Amino acid sequence: MQLLPEYKQDVPRVERFNMVARLTHWGHTVTFLLCLFTGLVLFLDGVDWLAAIFGGYSGAGLVHRISAVIMTLVIVFFVVFDFKGIINWIKDILRFGLNDIKFLLVFPLEFLGFPVKVPPQTRFNGGEKGNSIVTSTCVILLVLSGYIMWFPAIFPAGWVRVAYPVHDIAMVFATVMVCMHAYLGSFHPGSGESFWGMWKGTVRSDWAEHHHATWYEETYGEKAQTDEAE
Amino acid sequence: MAYLTNLYDSSRCTACRGCQVACKNWNQLPAVIEPFRGNYQTHEDTNADTFTIVKMIETEDPVDGVIWNFLKYQCMHCFDPACLKVCPRDAYTKTSWGATVHDPDKCIGCQYCTYACPFEIPKYRKREDITTKCTLCADRVEEGLQPACAATCAPGALMFGNRNELLQYAEDRVKHLRANGFPRATIYGKMELGGLNKLYVLTDTPDKFGLPVDPKVPGQIPFWKDWVQPYIGWLIPLALAGSATSFVTTRILANKHGKHDEGGHE
Ligand code: HEM
Ligand code: HEM
Ligand code: SF4
Ligand code: SF4
Ligand code: SF4
Repeated sequence: MQLLPEYKQDVPRVERFNMVARLTHWGHTVTFLLCLFTGLVLFLDGVDWLAAIFGGYSGAGLVHRISAVIMTLVIVFFVVFDFKGIINWIKDILRFGLNDIKFLLVFPLEFLGFPVKVPPQTRFNGGEKGNSIVTSTCVILLVLSGYIMWFPAIFPAGWVRVAYPVHDIAMVFATVMVCMHAYLGSFHPGSGESFWGMWKGTVRSDWAEHHHATWYEETYGEKAQTDEAE
Repeated sequence: MAYLTNLYDSSRCTACRGCQVACKNWNQLPAVIEPFRGNYQTHEDTNADTFTIVKMIETEDPVDGVIWNFLKYQCMHCFDPACLKVCPRDAYTKTSWGATVHDPDKCIGCQYCTYACPFEIPKYRKREDITTKCTLCADRVEEGLQPACAATCAPGALMFGNRNELLQYAEDRVKHLRANGFPRATIYGKMELGGLNKLYVLTDTPDKFGLPVDPKVPGQIPFWKDWVQPYIGWLIPLALAGSATSFVTTRILANKHGKHDEGGHE
């Protein structure tokens, strides 16, 4: 059975994510998953075998903190080296419109593999826009509440008590998104090609044109070419 | 088994702080010296190496003038302890006779218990990355001894024994105090938080002793432990199941409708 679509070098390809975005994404993925599994040790109220993987409960706590710090540095790295990329990302999210709603309406069918007709999408489709908003918000909440829980003595006691449920709720919503997101960005036959965009940086032009018509047109289409020539 | 309680009678306490010393001694706790703050109280609050303190609270009363109240302060050994409820390591246990005992070997120092406790009693000990608190001298009591603080108390302000008998004593004592110049004398610990395995005879209302009149576990804690943790986590296996379903159906449907045209549609 084929899991990922083949990476084809001999067809026209277009850039989707630059190096900074890709390093951020994968650095984030690794630290997020480490935080998740070391955190679940406590969330599930003491799962000894999961703790044992990280060398016991104090080991899990240490891994959680080290990953948390690296995750924070990755976010800083992204802000420093590709601030423009973040702005463009936000701008694209703000373009949420009718076509995104239409996308979200047919998405459950597409998710399960039924052939559906999808209106042209911008750089990020309706689902990716939703994922961007929910995941980023949750990660920001996780970072803020996490540091409060780490150093409770320097924060008001009321904040610490709020941080506990916030950390757990944000963890659950981020993880729910990641469960579906990671699958869509890899083994889902329809969107699997996007994996190469995040791994190698480029996607097949025909795939881009098909899945993100508006973005493709604006960035690599005829009009964009002539604009650049001028 | 009947609960064994350590009763403190503020009307008998002379604030000698023998209990503070006895506790340090028995639990082998190093001295913690805090800067002088202009009153006789040695420590602002209990800390990781000071399980109990004697609070000295001055209040000004329009009729009686300046009053000086003493209060021996430590863990209240709640019947339904919030610390025990939040601990992700199950480091707290309730003994059959009512002590809330903390196991330092299980503790990971997350301090959830500190912020769940209505009195913020468990304190963080940095050098070992754990929290600590009064043990009700469970190690002594189980050997048939009294808690170190109660054993040392010369004026008999601390009395250790069967809770029901001590409750009777406290009620009689409060009646006596009310009749003899302390009209607001009261018992603390009988009903608070559903009952504390610690009883106080107070010569005035609890607020005059720095105690919360109606102590409560902060609302965020039950929200977190009774609602967030048990239920919303189930969304995660649901999402996993959704993705697994899609993994199968996309591949079945691809066979039916023909290939996805290498990642395209139509
Ligand atoms: C900057 C980022 C983060 C910081 C500073 C942080 C810090 C903490 C701290 C201090 C604790 C308390 C437990 C302990 O002392 O070990 C904790 C618990 C936890 N963390 Fe994080 N964390 C961060 C990110 C994350 C992320 C990304 C996730 C998951 C996706 C996560 C999931 C959890 C979970 C599930 C718990 C257990 C909560 C419970 O007991 O119910 N954390 N975190
Ligand atoms: C093994 C796990 C993962 C895989 C295979 C994966 C794959 C991908 C891919 C292929 C894209 C590009 C989608 C596009 O072309 O627009 C992407 C984007 C993104 N990823 Fe991941 N990812 C994973 C884990 C994570 C994690 C753990 C997070 C955050 C907690 C995350 C956050 C994002 C965000 C915010 C985007 C941009 C918005 C979007 O396209 O949905 N990813 N990911
Ligand atoms: S007073 Fe605090 S530490 Fe003591 S038993 Fe009650 S909740 Fe636990
Ligand atoms: S600090 Fe220790 S005793 Fe307190 S909740 Fe955390 S693990 Fe339990
Ligand atoms: S009961 Fe024991 S641990 Fe608690 S205050 Fe008294 S001497 Fe200290």
